Amino acid sequence: VPDDLLLGLKFIFGPSAVPALDLVDQRSVTRVMAPSGRTAYQVLGSSGKLYTCYSSCHFCTCPAFGFTVLQKSESLLCKHILAVYLSEAIGACQELSVSEEQLSSILLAEEEDEG
Amino acid sequence: LCRGGLAERLCRLQNRERSAISFWRHQCSSDAKIPSDKPGVLIVKILQMFEECTIQVAICQQLEESPATLSSEDAVVSAGEPILKVLFARETAAHLKSRPQDVIHIYPPWQKLLLKNADVPVIMNTYFSQKVLLRGDSEAREKTYSLTKMLIRKNIVSLAQTFRLDDLGEELPQESPQNQVACGPQIHDQCASKQHPLAQSAVNDSLLEMVESQGAVGWREARVRVIIQRVYSLPAREGCRSHIQGNKPLCATSIISSDPPNVRLCLLVQDAYGMFSEVQLQSLSSAGDIEQYCRRWEGKTCCLAAMKILQRTTRGRALGLFSLIDSLWPPVVPVKVAGQSQDSEMMTANLPPPSFCYILTVQSGEIHVEVDEAEQVSNLYQPPAVHGLKDILQIHGCHERCSFWARVLYLRLQTKHSVPINQRELCLFVTDSTLQNVLPSTPKAVAVAVAASCVLSREITEALSLVSQFLFFKDALCSNGRIICVERTVLLLQKPLLCSAAAADLSELPGPVRLDELDSATQANSICAVRGTVVGVNESTAFSWPTCDRCGNGKLELCPQDRELIYCNQCSKVVISPVLKMQLEVFLSCPSLPHSTVKVKVWHEMSFGLFVLINMLLSLQSYEVQSVLGKEVGLLNCYVHSVTSHPNCVALQEIALL
Repeated sequence: VPDDLLLGLKFIFGPSAVPALDLVDQRSVTRVMAPSGRTAYQVLGSSGKLYTCYSSCHFCTCPAFGFTVLQKSESLLCKHILAVYLSEAIGACQELSVSEEQLSSILLAEEEDEG
Repeated sequence: LCRGGLAERLCRLQNRERSAISFWRHQCSSDAKIPSDKPGVLIVKILQMFEECTIQVAICQQLEESPATLSSEDAVVSAGEPILKVLFARETAAHLKSRPQDVIHIYPPWQKLLLKNADVPVIMNTYFSQKVLLRGDSEAREKTYSLTKMLIRKNIVSLAQTFRLDDLGEELPQESPQNQVACGPQIHDQCASKQHPLAQSAVNDSLLEMVESQGAVGWREARVRVIIQRVYSLPAREGCRSHIQGNKPLCATSIISSDPPNVRLCLLVQDAYGMFSEVQLQSLSSAGDIEQYCRRWEGKTCCLAAMKILQRTTRGRALGLFSLIDSLWPPVVPVKVAGQSQDSEMMTANLPPPSFCYILTVQSGEIHVEVDEAEQVSNLYQPPAVHGLKDILQIHGCHERCSFWARVLYLRLQTKHSVPINQRELCLFVTDSTLQNVLPSTPKAVAVAVAASCVLSREITEALSLVSQFLFFKDALCSNGRIICVERTVLLLQKPLLCSAAAADLSELPGPVRLDELDSATQANSICAVRGTVVGVNESTAFSWPTCDRCGNGKLELCPQDRELIYCNQCSKVVISPVLKMQLEVFLSCPSLPHSTVKVKVWHEMSFGLFVLINMLLSLQSYEVQSVLGKEVGLLNCYVHSVTSHPNCVALQEIALL
């Protein structure tokens, strides 16, 4: 990976760049796949918490996304989403096959916490 | 960070880059002439600018050579030159302060990005950029800078596009081919509703005509097209309801009431003739929606029909309303003049500001305000002009409306806690980057009074009690350097989509917040930082008291049933484990204010440095005051209660900044 590319990432994504690369270095991104073809991404955050990033649209369950991206519109994405894109690009995603029920529960898990 | 990993590499590269950037900035400010004929220098002229998530996007034209030898008139944009999309990071944009028509030199290393499905190349890593001032007009430019309005617009990608609902839309049968449906099924329904008979009647563009023809034939069907200049909420006129329910007074430590205040959503609209009118709409169920309405409606066109005229008010009777109207005068585009033919339009420079204004309201039960949210923002719209607090404090006029983006440091309730929430007055101490960037004559923080007439949404009141917030103050009133939020001022959590601003004023603070140190110029009702040595302790005022661990109520009572237990009135419960609070007043000798007695009220929870001191003094009957005298007290943030002379005494209270 050339230096220019790294600096370019820093320019566009600002403070998310280094943490995202760190997540990639640690192989923290897992692509979760179900037999139907539905996918989601799970990223092991620095705090040890597992966050879910959707593949069909731009979304992450981490609080930073809700605050910095959605509420304040200060950033385009959070470090987890960037880590997902980068991991896919360099082929550093771990893969996990699950059943449909398991994928559904991953996607629904966030709602249970709020309930 | 992983050794040898990508993150570590980027960190190293970034540190090198950062030192190169600060060296460059230093070079820029000290030596204006950096040679532009070095290889790899990109010369661009900005055509259009907008902001996207803190990155400034400038649509530019690449120039062959620097127009330093040409005057500004000669540097005409020629069609053949390539167009570039140049991105600037927030700090670079603040440093450049560029506007359309500016010429920028971008020095290497910069990067070019060619996207697969876009024609326009993107230029990034533009840290080493310098604005070229064309010969001869640099002075004139600086003077007109404050008058030029630069729009910062955010592009919004619709979810329909993300989810590719456009494709679905094309498969549906076309019911109304003349309606241009941009995206999916939801919008489709809205267009269909425009077949309502009301839509068929002609649309007028004069408010005055609509008002004067009230009662005439066909008046109910006539519609007036206006643009919405401002959206705000006003306290309802129908008497303020008391929010003391039963015997339960409001919680002492929060300003949130469970019962939302009665407010009405209002629009300040302007027609094609430049005439203003205030339209009072329905009551808002919660004042929290105001931010949404501001975003969706300000600047858009809307049609009014069958309005009821509440009042015709004049300048003398409605100072608040007219100060807002004055801030929108003169109009930014030419307006029509009554009596002249449709084609001739007069320049706005000679028109006097309006002297009267109609206040309209909707007929009950019917909605006669149709806002065209999908349309582009109108040219007549004047977004709030945002300035830095430094410039606002220098305004010498009376009753001028101003808008700014500032961080709230400290909040003080000016009225008693028992006052109903719609009559509360607050004082917010705020700062921004223009005040924090040190200048000896400007204060580092300024007090903004929030009058009871300024409606605060629930979101704002909740946000204020939590963490430090940056707030957007829209149309606050400024009078001789004092800022107040009154009726028609709106406090928002986010910067508006469109605002005319100097890029530096919307930036983050340069570092941790610093307050002015206590000195002879410090006045009451301000905040400052204090340091000194303890020279005395006011033993008579030292005491401790129990507070409720749930709501923080300091006025606990003995339980009537069982006088061994403590009871909290506000929670209506027994307090099992009260939090003990201690208060102490110390006298300091401050080097910055040598001839005054400085009295500081300190609290157990905040002064860890003095905690030992307090503990010693209050825990036992016997203590040695001598042992705490001479103790150095570091920089404490304080609120100034009073400053008196004869004797010179300053009474302070330690505070925690948000």
